[in-house]
Amino acid sequence: MASALYNVLFRRNYTMLGAVFAGAFVFEIGYDNLMNKVWDNNNRGRQWKDIRHKYVEGGDDE
Amino acid sequence: MAPLPALSRAVARSAARLPTTTTTAVRAVSSSPALRGSDSSTYQSPFRGESKSSRIPDFSKYMSKGSGAGNALFGYFMVGTLGAISAAGAKSTVQEFLVNMSASADVLAMAKVEVDLASIPEGKNVIIKWRGKPVFIRHRTAAEIDEANQVNVASLRDPESDEQRVKRPEWLVMLGVCTHLGCVPIGEAGDFGGWFCPCHGSHYDISGRIRKGPAPLNLEIPAYDFSDDGKLVVG
Repeated sequence: MASALYNVLFRRNYTMLGAVFAGAFVFEIGYDNLMNKVWDNNNRGRQWKDIRHKYVEGGDDE
Repeated sequence: MAPLPALSRAVARSAARLPTTTTTAVRAVSSSPALRGSDSSTYQSPFRGESKSSRIPDFSKYMSKGSGAGNALFGYFMVGTLGAISAAGAKSTVQEFLVNMSASADVLAMAKVEVDLASIPEGKNVIIKWRGKPVFIRHRTAAEIDEANQVNVASLRDPESDEQRVKRPEWLVMLGVCTHLGCVPIGEAGDFGGWFCPCHGSHYDISGRIRKGPAPLNLEIPAYDFSDDGKLVVG
């Protein structure tokens, strides 16, 4: 199991680089989502998207 | 390291030939612990008066119990993870700097102007402000379109056909800034039925092309589009 993973991912430099970049891509998406959720949670009720329904009737197309 | 055993063998051979007094020196040169004949897991100094500090302790307690492949996987995984986080950090640093330089939302909101075309009757000019500059919109009549098309393009100072200057022939949209020194021309004036710049006397025709006077180029056309609900979006 461990040696198979090692052979597939890290044995050759280009596969390791590919794995690192793919990992960076996935990590960035996850991290951004997480931090956005944290931010929205901390500022709940204060952002435009939270109070928009009070000022704009209907029409979600704007 | 192939020469090393050969060397030590040669030294040992010469030592055998020499008188026995030099054997300790030979041992020091070859520095092979095997000569001592003790077990190979511990190192013992060939010098006399060896102290406790020169003895290499037993590290077996700290050695990994896992397999070599597992250790390598773990090690490279940690290296790769650090690399991935660094790469993501570097990318977002660069990206934030570049985003910082681009136009902000309030500037972008000012960058587009919408005009309701239904409110402009045929044969009338409308001047709107777009990014601090006037924009002329003319609803041209069929006769005016004909007139613009009948001009010999090759004879113009800045040769452009009327088709190149409009998206729909009945709507002429252009920046109201004289290409000479930046005055705002007057509509429905001049010798060619189009625009006339009062500053230095440039005459533009009904397609906004320079016909007479000092201006070098035709009136500029901004980026614009017609939306489906009869509106003109400039920008």
